[in-house]
Amino acid sequence: MIAFFEAIAAFDVIEVLLALGLTGSALVCLFDRHLVRACYFFVFFAAAMTLAWWLLGAPWLAAAELGLGLGLTGPCFFYALGHVLPSASSSLERDTFSEPGSRVAMRVLLALAWFGMVGAAIRTVIADMAYSPLEHPLLLAGVVIAASALGAFALHRHLLRRLLAFNLLGSGVFMLLAGVAGTSAAAQAFISVGLVVAWLGTMLGALLIRRLLHLEGVEALGRDGNPKESAI
Amino acid sequence: MIWRFGLFDGTFEPLASTHWALVAALGLPLLLGMLAARLPPRQAWPVLLASVPVLASGLMLLSAYDQAGPLRWQWDIAGIQLSLRLNGLSVLMLLMTQVIGVAAALYTPGYLRLSEPGPLSRWLWPLMGVVLSTLSLIWLATDLLTLYAALELMGLAAVGMLMLSAKASALVAGMRYLLLALVGSLTYLLGVALILGHWGRLDLPGLAEVVEPGPVAWFAAALIGAGLALKAALFPLHAWLTPVHESAWTPVSALHAALVVKASLFILLQLWSILLPDAFYAPRVIAWLGMLAIVWGGLLAWRTDSLKTLVASSTVAQLGYLMVVFPLLLGPDVAPLSRALAWDGFWLQLIGHAFAKAAMFMAAGNLMLATGESTLKGVAGTSRRMPLSLLVLGVAAVTLMGLPPSAGFTAKWLLLDAMVRSQQWWAIAALLIGSLLTAAYVFRLFRYSFYESAPHHHYQPLAPGMDLIALTLALAAFALGLLAHFPLTLLHGGGA
Repeated sequence: MIAFFEAIAAFDVIEVLLALGLTGSALVCLFDRHLVRACYFFVFFAAAMTLAWWLLGAPWLAAAELGLGLGLTGPCFFYALGHVLPSASSSLERDTFSEPGSRVAMRVLLALAWFGMVGAAIRTVIADMAYSPLEHPLLLAGVVIAASALGAFALHRHLLRRLLAFNLLGSGVFMLLAGVAGTSAAAQAFISVGLVVAWLGTMLGALLIRRLLHLEGVEALGRDGNPKESAI
Repeated sequence: MIWRFGLFDGTFEPLASTHWALVAALGLPLLLGMLAARLPPRQAWPVLLASVPVLASGLMLLSAYDQAGPLRWQWDIAGIQLSLRLNGLSVLMLLMTQVIGVAAALYTPGYLRLSEPGPLSRWLWPLMGVVLSTLSLIWLATDLLTLYAALELMGLAAVGMLMLSAKASALVAGMRYLLLALVGSLTYLLGVALILGHWGRLDLPGLAEVVEPGPVAWFAAALIGAGLALKAALFPLHAWLTPVHESAWTPVSALHAALVVKASLFILLQLWSILLPDAFYAPRVIAWLGMLAIVWGGLLAWRTDSLKTLVASSTVAQLGYLMVVFPLLLGPDVAPLSRALAWDGFWLQLIGHAFAKAAMFMAAGNLMLATGESTLKGVAGTSRRMPLSLLVLGVAAVTLMGLPPSAGFTAKWLLLDAMVRSQQWWAIAALLIGSLLTAAYVFRLFRYSFYESAPHHHYQPLAPGMDLIALTLALAAFALGLLAHFPLTLLHGGGA
């Protein structure tokens, strides 16, 4: 117990605050039904991630996050909302889809099982992690963010919210990758490629969402047939 | 297993002309795709002209491999080692990609002219270029970073291509594919994180030396396997596949089913042969799932009413054949002869299926374009009006069923031989049931097409060459069975 408190005391105050900010904004972004607010919190989250990479000693990643996450991916979401380049089709406001309880329970269970496996995997290599989670609250935040994003991805039907959840899941995974492998050149290259992929995927997703809205209206964004696949 | 993938240093340095052939093979499809976006070709002949240098680059790499054996390229960029290798297997895969890619590109102008695709059609060309370039890179790359980047780019471009038809159903299916593929890529990334954290290197030859079995290797293999299985539509993660093909354009479906899903399978086998050499359970789990895939995919194809669903579901079943071979390739205590036979059969089946499936999608697309119908009942009575399209379907189906003398037959013969030698009776049963089911759904299609009484009013005439291209691909699958010694020599040369 004392060791635990000592470990807490060893935390850097700035890092603790940043980790709390990251987790908080991620949770709002994932679970707020008000879509515009969720997207603003995503932008805030990306800004906090930039700072986090800086603190972890990866200035290049901070630059990549600033450019790709904040500069390019963020606007994609506002385009999907219909706030940038407004078109004939209406802009999105709230997620009004609801799920039957049994499906929610099943999806959460599947997400938990998946995350259990990932957690066990990380636990096995914890001995040679570059940054220990006990010294770096940012990594703890990464674990929490990845877990809740996975849950949200499995839970939501609204396509925009799933796209948001994917982006946050990506950030959590990148943070875990940095924790396991350190911020070596190779790890930074992987994360940068991952950021580019996330941006391209989000752009494609945003274009699709606008197009679907135009063709079929808001209802189409929740039309996701098979719970079996969507829980993966 | 590792030497078969050519993960070692070559004896000779590549010549200067080989460098240029490599650059052309990797860059030209992309470049030509961009060019075609500026000036979309309306006829097939500019495409034919443009594909000459692409095919030439492939042939040059083939002759370079013939002369000098396996080749390696290596770059050190900011402390990250990137490397490519050229062995028999990658040459074979590269040639397959180029031939099918060229066939799909030749098919496209006629198809677009007839189907009035709308303003998005010019985007098809650059996306096709990205897919072909990244596929070529995947066959050659031997480090995890290049593989990851190429796989992701290919996946995104494939999603883009599949949704160009811009129907609402295509968009919904495409969006689901996009989200699943992206989450699959993150799973792959977590596996890579474990490898990078534990062994600290990314080049496959280096990893092959240092990896030892243990929890880290198992978890990394599980994570990477789950991510790639999702992208390769391996049963039970295949459900996104059929809806995506349902409303996609014909050349896009042909490319996707023939090549894109195979790339993930290729990476999966390559990485597992490093991470899980002689593992007992993991390849067997894949094989059991493969048996279910054969039965389930066959049943889906048999019960469906839609022509495209039939062709797409048959992909699920045919991928099952490849999954069934995993224990022979990766498992412990397999006699060298069985393993060699299984290795040959695996790649021959993969290549034969690629050609046959591309031909089948094109033939089905021709039928749908000409009749304006997309159901099996809709093509009733086409035997009189479109004998050539039906012939192509038939020839392609012979390969899928594994009747002699097609590539499917030779591949299954090799696989059966390997399975009998290692006494894998379940796998043999799965192979036979699969062939029967394939025959069932193919003959169901033919029964409809020979209805004489069906009234049909109007047939849209096809552009010249559309049937011919499909026929060429189907005959190529056929010829690969008769001339199997050519691909097999390349496969054997992988480590000689």
